[in-house]
Amino acid sequence: MEKKRNASSMLNRIPGVTYIFLIVFVAASIGVPKFFTVGNLSTMLLQACTLTLLSVAMALSLMMGSIDLSVGGVVSMGGVIMAYCMREGMHAGFALLIGLFIGAMFGLFNGLMVTKLRVPAFIATFGSMGIAQSIANTISDERTISWTPGPHTRLIDFLGDKALSIELGADAAQRLTISNLLVITAIAVGVVWLLFRKTTLGSNIYALGANEETARLSGIDVSKWRIIVFMISGLLAALGGIVVMIRSNSVQPTIGANLEFQACVAAVLGGNVMEGGKGSVPGAVLGALTLYTIRSAMSLLGIDTSWVQVVIGMVLVIGMVLNNMAAHQEKKNSQATLSRARAQHSSGKGA
Amino acid sequence: MAENKLLEFRHISKSFPGVKALEDINVDLYKGEVHILVGENGAGKSTLMKVLSGAYEATTGELYVEGKKIEKNSPRISEELGISMIYQELNLVPELSIASNIYLGHELRKGPFVDTAAQEKRANEILSEIGVQIDSRTLVKHLSIGAQQMVEIAKALSRNAKVIVFDEPTSSLTDSEIEELFNIIRLLKKRSVGMFYISHRLEELFVIGDRVTVLRDGRQIKTDVISNMTMDSVIESIAGRKIENLFPHTRKQAGEPMLEICGLTGEKFSNVSMMVRAGEIVGVSGLVGAGRSEVARAAFGVDPYTAGEVRVCGQRLPGNSPARANRLGMCLLPEDRKVEGLALALSIRENIVISSLKAMNPSGIVGQKKEREVVQQSIRDLGIATSSMEKLAKFLSGGTQQKVVVAKWLLSQSKVFIFDEPTRGIDVGAKSSIYQLMDDLVGQGAAILMISSDLTEILGMSDRIYVMSGGSVVGEVDSADANQNDILQMAFSNV
Repeated sequence: MEKKRNASSMLNRIPGVTYIFLIVFVAASIGVPKFFTVGNLSTMLLQACTLTLLSVAMALSLMMGSIDLSVGGVVSMGGVIMAYCMREGMHAGFALLIGLFIGAMFGLFNGLMVTKLRVPAFIATFGSMGIAQSIANTISDERTISWTPGPHTRLIDFLGDKALSIELGADAAQRLTISNLLVITAIAVGVVWLLFRKTTLGSNIYALGANEETARLSGIDVSKWRIIVFMISGLLAALGGIVVMIRSNSVQPTIGANLEFQACVAAVLGGNVMEGGKGSVPGAVLGALTLYTIRSAMSLLGIDTSWVQVVIGMVLVIGMVLNNMAAHQEKKNSQATLSRARAQHSSGKGA
Repeated sequence: MAENKLLEFRHISKSFPGVKALEDINVDLYKGEVHILVGENGAGKSTLMKVLSGAYEATTGELYVEGKKIEKNSPRISEELGISMIYQELNLVPELSIASNIYLGHELRKGPFVDTAAQEKRANEILSEIGVQIDSRTLVKHLSIGAQQMVEIAKALSRNAKVIVFDEPTSSLTDSEIEELFNIIRLLKKRSVGMFYISHRLEELFVIGDRVTVLRDGRQIKTDVISNMTMDSVIESIAGRKIENLFPHTRKQAGEPMLEICGLTGEKFSNVSMMVRAGEIVGVSGLVGAGRSEVARAAFGVDPYTAGEVRVCGQRLPGNSPARANRLGMCLLPEDRKVEGLALALSIRENIVISSLKAMNPSGIVGQKKEREVVQQSIRDLGIATSSMEKLAKFLSGGTQQKVVVAKWLLSQSKVFIFDEPTRGIDVGAKSSIYQLMDDLVGQGAAILMISSDLTEILGMSDRIYVMSGGSVVGEVDSADANQNDILQMAFSNV
C-alpha cells in the first residue's frame, strides 16, 4: 500500500517535458540514421553538458521568481580569464578556482543589485551579462585564447580525458565514451538536486517565487536566500565555462553568447514558468537534453544550423501548449486528489 | 482573572503623516476568549493588529503580553511571543506540501537536511488535533480555500501560538467550511488560545464572539460582552448613525422582459430558466456550489453552454461572446472584483472609460478633456469617495471599487446588470450605498439579477427570488411572501 502510493505520487511528479523529450528522442532514433548509436549519443551528451548546467541555474532563478541573464556572459568571461591565466603559465588548479570564484562573485553582484538596490532581476542581470561579455572581449582582444600544454595544465588534460571507453565495434559510431566532464556535470547537477530536495533550499525557492511576502512572514531571510541562489547560478555558469573550455582546449570570447536564451528555453520547456513558484531541476535537465537531441538529429541530417533555431522555437511553443494543457488537466484533477488525500489520511490513521 | 490576561493594549495611538489611524485604544484579551473587532473599512482594525504583529510601531502607548511590557516589537519578536496572524489573503506556497508549508522557515532538521518524515508525522498529528482529515503530503495547490485556512491554523499551532488573529476568515468560505472553522475556534478556546477576530459579517459575532470592540475613525467606540449587545446596537456603533433602513429598495413598476434565460444547460447546471424585467431586482439564492455563478458566467458568454438560449432586450445572444453581450447592454459584476472586474494598476478614470473608449472616441484618438468631464460626472452621480479620479483602483476600499465597476458599465450604456455577491467583504456603511445605487439603477429602468449568499440581502433587495440547488432552479418566490426558512429548505432540496 505504502509503495503503491509513493509510485503514484512519483508519477504525478514527473515533469511534462519527459514526454516531449521521449517523443523527440524516439522520433530522432527512428527517423535519423546514425542517431541512435552509442558514439553519437556519447558526443551529444558531452556537448549538452554546458547547456545542462546553465539550464539548471536558470531553473533555480526562474523558480524563485527571478531570472539570471548573465549566465552566458559568465561562461565567456570565466572561460577567457581561466584560459588567459593558463596561457600566462598559472597552474590549472588555481585558474579553475579563480574561474569559479569569479562566477560566484558575479552571482553575489547580481544578488546585491536585486535585493539591496531593488533593481529588477531582468535589468540587473542583463547589465551584468553585458559587463561579463565585455570583459571577455577586452581580455581576449576578441581573439581565441589557447594555452601551451605543459606540466601546469596536466589537470586540464586529466579532466578532458574519458572516464570510461568501451569499443563495441570497429568504427567511431560504436564507441561508447563517458568523459570526465560528463561525470563532473552529473555530479554538480546531482548535488544541486540533492540540496533542492533535501535541504530548505527547495522550499525557500518555491516560497520566494510564489509570494515573497509569504516567505518573509514565515521567517525566511528573503535577501540572503535570493543572493544564495544567484551565487549558485554564477557558480554553475562558471562550471559551464570550465567544461566548454576543456572540451575545446581553447576559448573563443563569444563562446557563451546567447546561451542564456537557450537555457531559458530549456528551463521553460522543463516546466519552470516565468512567474516563479513552480518547476523542477530534472525538468530543466530534460529540457536541455531535448534541445540537444534536436540539434544532433538535424546536424546528422545535414540541415543548416540556422534552421535549428527555428525548430527549437517551434518545440518551445508546442511544449508550452502541452504544459498548459497538463496544468488545466491538473486543475480538474485537484478535487479528486483532495478526496484521495482525505481518504489516505483516514486510512493512515486507522493503520 | 489577571493571570488569565494574555495581552493588553494600553492607550495605543498611531499616527501616519496627516492621519491619526488610532487614538487611545485600550483593548485586552483573555485566555480562551474570542474578541471580535468590528468597524468600517479604515476604522483602524488592521492597523491595531499590525501594531500587535510588529509590522507597525505605535506612536504612543504600551503593549503588554502576559503582564510583561513589550519595549520594542517586530514581526520576529511577536512570533516568538506566540502571536500568529491569519490574513485574509492566505500566505501559503501552492507547490509545497501541507507539511512543508506548516514548517516553512522553521523546518525540522536532521543534520543539514530537512527531516521530511518527522514534519509529515507532526503535521498529521496537528491536523488530526483540529479535526482536519487531509494527508499532510498533499500539495497545497490541490486544497480548497477552506482547507488552506485550516493549514494556516495548523501552522500557527505548530509554533505554539497563544494568540491567533483572524482577519476576515470567512469571507471566501462556503457555509460548511465556516461551520468547520467555528468548530476549530471552539476547540482552540478550550485550549486557552486567545483570538482576535475581524469580520464584516455581523451575524458571526453572536455565533462565535465573547466580546466585541467597535472601532470608528481610529477611536474605540465601545467594548462589551456580546450578551449586552444586539445587531442593531452594533450596526449603530459601527456607522455612528442610525441606519434606519439598510435596504432602501422599493418595488418599481415592472416593464418589458430585459433578460431571458431559457433552458440553459452547461457543465454544472441544467435546464435553468430565469427572466428579469425592466425595473426589477431579481435575487438568485442557493448554497455555494449550486451553480449560480456558473449560470451567470454562461449567460454572459464567458463560459460555454450546451443547450438553451439567452435573450437580452429580446435579442438572442450568440453565446461565448462577452463583448457581444456587452454591446447589447448586458454586464456582469463578478464576485472577485480584484481579479475579474477591475484593472487594479489603472486609475479610477481609466477603469471607468475602459469599456467605452471606442464609443467615446470614434476617431480612435482619446479626447482627454471630454473623458475627464464624463468621469467627473460618474463620480458625482454614484458618490464615489475619492480624492482624485487619478487614484489607482488598488488603493480603493471594496465598496468604492464596486462603484467604479458599476460606473464603467453604466458608461457603456448597460441596461442589464448581473451582480455576483455585490457586497462581499464590504462594510455596513458602504453596503447601504451600494443598495441605494442598485435601487437607483432599476428606478432608471435597468434590470438587475443579483446572486447572493446573504439571505437578508436577498430578502431585503429582491422583488422576486429564484432558488437554485444542485445546478437547477428549484423554486421561484415573490419576496413579499418569502422567508429565510423556506428559501433555505429549497436550497437544500436538491443537494
